[in-house]
Amino acid sequence: MSKHVILLIGSPKSYASTSNALGDYLIKKLEKQGFVSDKIYIYDAMKTDKDAVHILQSIDDADLLILTFPLYVDNIPSQVIALLELIFKHRSLQKEPKKQKILSLSNSGFPEASQSETAHAICRKFASETKIEWIGGLALGGGGAIGGTNLEDVGRIGGGVRKALELVANSICEDKPLPDEALKLMKRPLVSPLMYTWFGDAAWKKAAKENGVENRLYERPYQASEDS
Amino acid sequence: MKALILDGSRKEDSISACIMDKIQDILKKRNCQIKALILRDQNISSCLGCFDCWKKTPGMCVIDDVGRSIAKENVQSDLVILLSPIVFGGYSPGLKKALERMIPNILPFYTKIGGEIHHSARYEKYPKMVGIGFLPSSDQESETIFKKLIERNSINFYSEKYSTRVVYPNDATEDVYKKVAEAIAEVID
Repeated sequence: MSKHVILLIGSPKSYASTSNALGDYLIKKLEKQGFVSDKIYIYDAMKTDKDAVHILQSIDDADLLILTFPLYVDNIPSQVIALLELIFKHRSLQKEPKKQKILSLSNSGFPEASQSETAHAICRKFASETKIEWIGGLALGGGGAIGGTNLEDVGRIGGGVRKALELVANSICEDKPLPDEALKLMKRPLVSPLMYTWFGDAAWKKAAKENGVENRLYERPYQASEDS
Repeated sequence: MKALILDGSRKEDSISACIMDKIQDILKKRNCQIKALILRDQNISSCLGCFDCWKKTPGMCVIDDVGRSIAKENVQSDLVILLSPIVFGGYSPGLKKALERMIPNILPFYTKIGGEIHHSARYEKYPKMVGIGFLPSSDQESETIFKKLIERNSINFYSEKYSTRVVYPNDATEDVYKKVAEAIAEVID
């Protein structure tokens, strides 16, 4: 019988997110090796209590959970925490919760992948409290260089990430631990930090100019009252 | 001194009221001007991840709700106290949602702090940060993650000083008071 993987996308940008791009590439590789996949955009899906029931049913069917998210304030996004709490409560009520595995996959706007360590520690803690087997956490720094584009379309800069995710897919299918090479490739900056920050700063200025606010970028809207 | 308390507790977290009382007692004794928000009673939208607060309405979130006011209160305070159940080592979703809405208070541009890349400060001054977490029982791993999270947040939100304490239901009332008082003294004395 085919194994079932569920991709849980924790970005409010949903389809247009780097989280989706990374997760999508990984599940396609798993599908090629016989996995059946399902996908949930957490921010779109968690709007009512009924939605939550539906999500939990889908998660119950899975053998493997892949949680992809952007790093927000050194942590996983708020709606993702809400979902993890729901899963925890749901499984606590089950007599024999299904044997499942989980992998977390983050991307951040900072060049250093290491800035996501706390977020992955939270995912690992969730796994242990919920009695889901923790496969590991993969962190990508400088996610802005991908900017929600399909990994197949990002060209040479995405080579290391693609290779890392292929290695991860193989290790999952062979039921082996995540290879060190995949973790290293994932952590490797997509572009040099100097180049990343230079282009990043320029992109913010360009976007502000397009919105007609290039002279207001450093505004302090709450400063006036601060002085009063 | 202005102090902002953000209470991320859930309805069932009975211990939070006791901790909140202690926090307010201590701050009153220090003649602080207190603003306390129980976040579960507020209707706060989630951050959209649009970054319009950097490139369209600099310094201000495009969503006009309590989340925007909290960002303002935060930057105008001298001390922010984050009160939360420790959920898998981190914050409750309610507190996390409020913190995500504070992103307008920093700039999009990059700078280096302690060898790492971070976003630059928008303001000259930011509040000092105290994290008070609570757990149902002793859990070293959760405490370690929570303390690290507060430390990381203090870097990204430019808190000059930070401190953390974890409270347990079996802590005596005077111990809760002592923990909170010590945490506050660590950052403001």
